[in-house]
Amino acid sequence: MKAQQSIIMPYELVLTSLPLPVIVLLHPQMDVIYANKPAHVLFKQLTNTKREVLLSDIKIILHDICKAKGEGAAPFETRQPIPGKKSHLWLEVTTQTVMQGSNQYSIYIITDISARKTKELSMIQSLEKEKSLHEMKSHFISMASHEFKTPLTAISSTIDLLETKLQMDNLLDQFYQHNISKISAEIFKLNTMLDEILTLSTIVSNNIEIKKQLIDVEQVIADVKYQYFSERKDDRVLNVQVTGTRRKIYADKNQLSKIFTNLVGNAFKYSGDNPMLKLQYQQHQVVIKVIDQGIGIPAHDVPYLFNSFYRGSNVDGIEGTGLGLSIVKDFVERNNGTILVESEENKGTIFTIVFKYAPEITAQA
Amino acid sequence: MNRTILLIEDKPTLLDTLKSLLELYQYTVIVAANGAEGVQQARLNRPDLVISDIYMPVLNGYDMLEQFKQDVALRNIPVIMLTAKTQIEEIDMAMQKGAVGYVTKPFVFKNLHAVIKKFLQ
Repeated sequence: MKAQQSIIMPYELVLTSLPLPVIVLLHPQMDVIYANKPAHVLFKQLTNTKREVLLSDIKIILHDICKAKGEGAAPFETRQPIPGKKSHLWLEVTTQTVMQGSNQYSIYIITDISARKTKELSMIQSLEKEKSLHEMKSHFISMASHEFKTPLTAISSTIDLLETKLQMDNLLDQFYQHNISKISAEIFKLNTMLDEILTLSTIVSNNIEIKKQLIDVEQVIADVKYQYFSERKDDRVLNVQVTGTRRKIYADKNQLSKIFTNLVGNAFKYSGDNPMLKLQYQQHQVVIKVIDQGIGIPAHDVPYLFNSFYRGSNVDGIEGTGLGLSIVKDFVERNNGTILVESEENKGTIFTIVFKYAPEITAQA
Repeated sequence: MNRTILLIEDKPTLLDTLKSLLELYQYTVIVAANGAEGVQQARLNRPDLVISDIYMPVLNGYDMLEQFKQDVALRNIPVIMLTAKTQIEEIDMAMQKGAVGYVTKPFVFKNLHAVIKKFLQ
């Protein structure tokens, strides 16, 4: 009692008026010598009893709470079930040891953090749900792309088979040729639309992954030329002109490939000549120009050209979704590049893309 | 003498159409429905060239390429991948695992034939 008096007396007013449960224990028996009103309320709740809790009850329960966490574990958070109820309380326990004369005391402050913890757990569950949805979306996009392309390939191959057989049997007259070409062209339009819609959906859902690495732009352009623009039915070719010393940039290879595929594809689509791709390695940056001498873009369309679903007013009859350039701009910017367009109606268009070299590359130069 | 092509594709319609197309161009065509069957057929028939899908049951195209690489009798047979995968990383992976070329689905047969001719020369 004497020991209780000595530690509590000077702070009793403060401890009594504190809204947080405070408990004071005396070493070495660890007897509870003081518990303020909020502590009594909390421990009554924890014991689920109708009678008033005694300091000896608090000693036993507090011992149980701390035992599970081990000596010296505080501060800690703990989940305390309430006997006879299906509910529980989340508590945050902090402790401070105080010496006064020859007496040692432990002061426990216990905070009911159930409301915060419930919100936290709910946020974690939401995040996990979100993550799982995100994975499902990625999987769906990849699966949809593959599953749509399989029947498209079967159709286009069957058309090829029919055309080849008719040709070999000398039956491929102008009528068949014309209509087979139409079917074939529509299949590839559908494929392009599918690619663009899937790419845009990954951008919009923020599902797109960017994997930047040191990239040889020249190699990416060569791959794109080989994969998409060689062996064209109209025998047109992409002319590539390179100046300067070959250097690498830091970018996402897949996105870079889509940028060039789209711009060169447009250059073929909106012109009748061979498009030109100029690659200029400058001192601090690489400049890529995709040039065509085609129908050009009317001046009033230029400001809106990179908006999704916007198409030039002079492209009637030429297929397209209006998504390609918005994807290109997004990918250029994700890779810290810039894109500019210069165009004159009926004269042609130049798209200029600039990527700075990675800092270490400039330093090596 | 006709050159022999092993065609590995799990979609029967596409397999059938491609087989007919290749036969019109006088190739002898052996077929397999997945990578494991493909390896088996390659060991039995020693084709001059292989055309293979990537996404396949039992053994996918990447694992099949690994098996080709590990087999002395198969490692020099050119393998062209026919794939709906358009991500460059995935195509790169196929090339790293030993494919000599690739054509993305859907394709114009003329393009596939140009690649075939290049590796049969």
